[in-house]
Amino acid sequence: MQSSFWVLSKLLCLLSIGLVSCQTSNDQLPILGQKEAVTKTVNGKTITDSVDHAIPDFRFVSQYGDTVSAKTLNGKIYVADFFFTTCPTICPKMKTQLKRVYDRFKGNSRVMLLSHTIDPTHDSVAVLREFAQNLGVEGRQWLFVTGNKEAIYDIGQNSYMVSAAEDASAPGGVVHSGAFILVDTQKHIRGIYDGTTIEGVDKMMADMDKLLAESK
Amino acid sequence: MSKKTYVALVALTFAFLCFVSSCQTQEEIKRQKYITEGILLYQTNCANCHQRDGKGLAALYPPIAGSNYLAKKDSIIHIIRHGQQGPILVNGKRYNRPMPAQLHLSDLEIAEIVTYIYAEWGKSNQIVDVKYVRNVLK
Repeated sequence: MQSSFWVLSKLLCLLSIGLVSCQTSNDQLPILGQKEAVTKTVNGKTITDSVDHAIPDFRFVSQYGDTVSAKTLNGKIYVADFFFTTCPTICPKMKTQLKRVYDRFKGNSRVMLLSHTIDPTHDSVAVLREFAQNLGVEGRQWLFVTGNKEAIYDIGQNSYMVSAAEDASAPGGVVHSGAFILVDTQKHIRGIYDGTTIEGVDKMMADMDKLLAESK
Repeated sequence: MSKKTYVALVALTFAFLCFVSSCQTQEEIKRQKYITEGILLYQTNCANCHQRDGKGLAALYPPIAGSNYLAKKDSIIHIIRHGQQGPILVNGKRYNRPMPAQLHLSDLEIAEIVTYIYAEWGKSNQIVDVKYVRNVLK
């Protein structure tokens, strides 16, 4: 089980490096994910258009017990990840790295962090709250969310993990891959990074600066 | 003292010194081997939470470097093998995350990790060998 987590996270890391390197010629970060066809009616005519992949609305509960939806993150760029508090393998690494991101962007009202538990049975609001406190996180800039397990896995596998959907059946699941997903103010995914390494996360923070400059 | 006796004495002293120093070197070589293995084992099995620098992570995972637990060697050996549940105090600070048992680590591997920990953060140049660990875990 543990080793498959590693294989998965390495795969994802390679994938994201591949994705990033394909696009470095352009200074702007790419919009990741398949374009989706939407049908709408304009002036009485039905037309089909393609739109960029975006994170749909969701409803989870934060470490403070209140509802978090896509609206909570409106106007912000944010980093999403998936973990659970009792995980001894890659999650401590991810939290070590995400804490670095938190410290770097602390107080920046345009940046948020959103950590989803993939073990909502154990990770209740109270457990998440203690975990966040112990990690030294205060306020609402870094939200730890729990909720319906199927809903968390669904958004993880089908909305956030755009580049690795084919791995979804692997043990541990794609949502336990150690990835950090960078989302822009329009809910588009702009980068997927290896959240278990210093290098991966340094790259992400550089990209976050780029994204902040872009959406100014 | 005859010249012969004197030469014999010098030779004997020399031989004795050689013996003693080579003994120490053997022991030191063994310790260095333990440490080399210990570093790798530490990074694979411990550093996720306790970090490479041994400083732990905030109030989630306690430090090893500078920890009062360094005074409890047997307790450290036990915790590595059997894990740790419930709140503990480290340097007067409360930590309450379960540490999983490391049942896949052999007595020798635990000895290597502990030797490394004490060399790095315990200011110790003593080996904690496999016999010692085996005895503690009996």
